[in-house]
Amino acid sequence: MAEEAGASAAPVGGDGKMTMVVGVDESEHSYYALQWTLLHFFSPGQVQLYRLVVVTAKPTAASAVGLAGPGAADVLPMVEADLKRSSLRVIGKAKELCAQVSDAVFEVVEGDARNVLCEAVERHHAEMLVVGNHGYGAIKRAVLGSVSDYCTHHAHCTVMIVKKPKHKH
Amino acid sequence: MEEERAAAAVASGVPPGAGGTEEASRGMAGATTMKVVAAVDASEESLRALSWALDHVVQQNPGASVVVVHAHRTEHFVYPVAAHGLAYAPPMAVDSMKKTQEENARRVVARALDVCAQRQVTAKAAVVEGDPKEAICQAVEEMHADLLVLGSRGLGMIKRALLGSVSDYLAHHASCPVLIVKPPKAHAKGTASST
Repeated sequence: MAEEAGASAAPVGGDGKMTMVVGVDESEHSYYALQWTLLHFFSPGQVQLYRLVVVTAKPTAASAVGLAGPGAADVLPMVEADLKRSSLRVIGKAKELCAQVSDAVFEVVEGDARNVLCEAVERHHAEMLVVGNHGYGAIKRAVLGSVSDYCTHHAHCTVMIVKKPKHKH
Repeated sequence: MEEERAAAAVASGVPPGAGGTEEASRGMAGATTMKVVAAVDASEESLRALSWALDHVVQQNPGASVVVVHAHRTEHFVYPVAAHGLAYAPPMAVDSMKKTQEENARRVVARALDVCAQRQVTAKAAVVEGDPKEAICQAVEEMHADLLVLGSRGLGMIKRALLGSVSDYLAHHASCPVLIVKPPKAHAKGTASST
């Protein structure tokens, strides 16, 4: 009865679980974030409160190349194929890591990582978004942009930023 | 309980594939012994963040320990007098200000511990002095926290700011994973169905 009331107020999965979106890319930082999350939320002995959704963003070939010249048309298909391969690799590795999670969902969404993650949160009505961070300093963040920063500001749910521990002493 | 021990055994047996340095494995060790540090101030926001974390994170990790941290800004009651003089505020004024601040700090901490007690979580409290950003950052390192819980905006609420300055600073500089809890959306979200 409680579950039904909950389901009508806020869409949760059919099994009453909340949804957690984890953003991954090719970096070691994001695999670390995924593993940390698995360890603390999806360990075999634990009560699983969340449904896991792993999302990776595949940039469009045009955005990756940024060419506008006569050679562009030839290069784009190769770039596109390469990007597709690398996203599949990312998801493949994520699937391996998440082997113990029974109902995990894996998605490759085309677009810029910032928007892809925030939009995935909306789409899945997620309670939490987990991202790693590249550990950029302030200047790098300003120049390269920070996905974790953007998500922290704009995602409509709780955001967890999992950092790889810095090398201490 | 046996399940917890088994889980801990599996958890510590999980090899950190990425990096595999000592620091990484220490960060990974012990799923159930997670140390959660929650920064609280007098704002409702931070208490809500604490509650959210208790319901959604601590509940899942029965062995987790919780520490609530309050940063107590120390005021120096000094004001300039004439061209090159400095006068300290009279001792009585300083004392009463200090007492009020200590009272406030105690109240904040008491409320936070209350929130924890309501969920049958025994938490410890720590009060740190100085600039909240740096003080909390340092506390997190010294306590070897596994997770830092923050509200998205605290007392310094600027209506249009999406993220308060302390939360922003800590999101970048804290040495451990950071959980930033946002206020609920306008249409009330159902909370977890479990009690």
